[in-house]
Amino acid sequence: MSTSSTESDQQQEIGRLRARVAVLEHELLEQAQRTARIVADAQERTYWLDRWHLDLNALMQRRGASEARSLVRLVRGAARAAKRVKRALLRG
Amino acid sequence: MSRVSVVIPVKDGERYLGELLDALAREGVDEVLVIDSGSRDESLAIARTAGVELLEIPSAEFGHGRTRNLGAERTSGELICFLTQDATPCPGWLAAHRDALGLHARVGAAFGPHLPRPDTSPAIARELAQHFAGFAPDAAPTLHDGPGAPAFLSNVNACYRRACWEQIRFRDVAYAEDQAFGADLLAAGWAKAYHPGAAVLHAHDYGALEFMRRYFDEYRGLYATTGHVEQFGPVRALRTVRAETAADLRWMRAQGSPPAARVRWAPHAVVHHGGRRVFSALGSRAERLPGPVRERLSLEGRADTGAPAPTEANPDTAPPRARHVKPRDDDRFAAAGEVLREGAAALLEPLPEMAEQERLRLALVVPPWRRGSGGHMTLFQLLSRLERRGHVCSVWVHDAIGELDHTWPAVLRRQVNDWFVPFAGPVFKGFADWHGADVAIATGWQTVHPTLLLDGCRARAYVVNDHEPEFFATSTEERLAEDTYRHGIHCIAASPWLRDLVAERYGAPADAFQLGVDHDVYRPRATIPRRRDTVVYYARHSTERRAVPFGLMALAELHRRRPDTRIVLFGTDRPPATPFPYEHLGVLSPPQLAALYGEATIGLCLSLTNFSLMPKEMLACGLPCVELAGVSAESIFGADGGPLALAPLDPLALAGAMERLLDDEHEWQRRSHAGVDFVASHTWERATDEVEAGLRHALRERERSAAA
Repeated sequence: MSTSSTESDQQQEIGRLRARVAVLEHELLEQAQRTARIVADAQERTYWLDRWHLDLNALMQRRGASEARSLVRLVRGAARAAKRVKRALLRG
Repeated sequence: MSRVSVVIPVKDGERYLGELLDALAREGVDEVLVIDSGSRDESLAIARTAGVELLEIPSAEFGHGRTRNLGAERTSGELICFLTQDATPCPGWLAAHRDALGLHARVGAAFGPHLPRPDTSPAIARELAQHFAGFAPDAAPTLHDGPGAPAFLSNVNACYRRACWEQIRFRDVAYAEDQAFGADLLAAGWAKAYHPGAAVLHAHDYGALEFMRRYFDEYRGLYATTGHVEQFGPVRALRTVRAETAADLRWMRAQGSPPAARVRWAPHAVVHHGGRRVFSALGSRAERLPGPVRERLSLEGRADTGAPAPTEANPDTAPPRARHVKPRDDDRFAAAGEVLREGAAALLEPLPEMAEQERLRLALVVPPWRRGSGGHMTLFQLLSRLERRGHVCSVWVHDAIGELDHTWPAVLRRQVNDWFVPFAGPVFKGFADWHGADVAIATGWQTVHPTLLLDGCRARAYVVNDHEPEFFATSTEERLAEDTYRHGIHCIAASPWLRDLVAERYGAPADAFQLGVDHDVYRPRATIPRRRDTVVYYARHSTERRAVPFGLMALAELHRRRPDTRIVLFGTDRPPATPFPYEHLGVLSPPQLAALYGEATIGLCLSLTNFSLMPKEMLACGLPCVELAGVSAESIFGADGGPLALAPLDPLALAGAMERLLDDEHEWQRRSHAGVDFVASHTWERATDEVEAGLRHALRERERSAAA
């Protein structure tokens, strides 16, 4: 009686573990699917950068890059301010 | 206390020789030997006046290593110092050398810094200061011992233990005998030492062009003794010149030079450092230059390559000149070497019923491709369909010889989509981001060994497009291609013939699949009138297994028998030379091929190995095709070839098979219809079914082998 009970427990435990492995495998597959999609999307977006051999991180670490970026931000800020003033004047 | 001898090779060294000998007298050396090799100035008189021993040798007998060995033989001190004629010892020089050699009994040689003279140019002064500061960052004597120790040693200012010199001796080289001694000394188990107190005042005082020519000599000698090749590239050289010039100016400012002096030096610095880059690169490639050019570039006016010349006294014992080569893997065979050495990476433990999982993670490992690559088209047709069935697919490009160095991964992915078939997954170059797979799939012989090294896999499979050992003459490539079938990877072969071959000859577990045809493109077209006089031939002569010379012989025979037959060649950019006239179409796209097959009367396409896709595509367009008998076609089409007209590898037989199809319209009609019917079921969907079954078979085999 106790032997068959132990065997039954073991079978149940094996069954539970197999189910758990199946769940984890499914999660792994889903994660792999998401990762593959993200990488593929990123490759789709960076096609022209790769085509022209542009590594933006390396580029932005070069001397003068942050100054150039600041300049762009300055110009952009000025342009936006000008647009706001224009809109305000047109509304007024 | 050990006796000290000093050896000074001299030629026209009057400028500093007197102060040098005075300094040696002050330091208290025991013996001084001046070896003069043909001075025309006052050097001899200066040496005689100083009362030192003088040895005169003909200038032709001078050699940097040879003459110093002679000096060591002619002196008797337990310590032998070598100085150049323009190196003046500073106070404390000899005591420092004694200290350095006393650091350890295994110290066989010691050297000290070369300090700039007051008129030394900033570039040289900075270089000397920074170079020697690097040997003793904390200004204390340092010991160089064991593997990895710097080999640098300079006979401008060095002191040797006689026992060490006797064991090693200077090589008879034209230049850099000291560097060679440094390397030989370490290799022989001796150590060497640097002492910042063992200083000499020393500088070469040359004009800009002379400096450049001296760099040529130095690097020629360095190449001859150590194998060092100075790298050179225009962009890199410009960057280096800019950096070195800026370093000179910074150093001058730190030394208190006024701004005007710095401005005056800047253009000189550009010329000096630029010249150095160019002449050092030339010097280390002197072997490739003509003798007269070497002579012009050399400050010493020497036209030789830097290799030691046999001496008259001992012509047979001069050792052959060895070129030192730095370690570098041959990437073509690196993975195979690792597999042979370490074995394959372990597979993951199998999971119960993993072969039955609906979706699998599949990683396809491929060699680099070109537009129009038929093998890659097959692979991507299959992968694209596996992806559409829900499997998580990725492509991994193994680029062993750097064919794709300038092609980045996103571009590769776009090429797959533009040149082959739609593919939504990622494309990786190399295996730096490898993250495992249910099945890693090798696809060509050169991808198998890298695939065997990938970890995190539940199983491996090998899509075998052809019997690739036959692509090579007897060679390493051939043997490694054979080796790929012997690692127990489950093969999925592109024909029953190929499956049987890898199973029977190599014992590989194998399934087969039938190459599919894209029936949307390749189909009979009523709109294109069929000609009755046209033979089209896939004459890709760059692919040896296509037996193009045989095909051309057969066409020549056909032309002899039927001069009016129109012959069209395609599949190669370069028209082959033939004894008959023909039309050449070059490399065609699939729609162009389909139109050509729709118009032609007979297709000729030969393969000495596995049956290829092209004859099937011809048949799908209603074009009867002539192929080789007795190779692989029978495994697909049956013993009589079915719709194919089979002929042995014989020009007359091949011409006969074509002639019969041209002459017998009834036979032509029969084969045309039979071909269309036969390949109707050969679809890429069916091929994908078979490959998917093969992949699951690989997983099942893995389960079985683990259970066993």
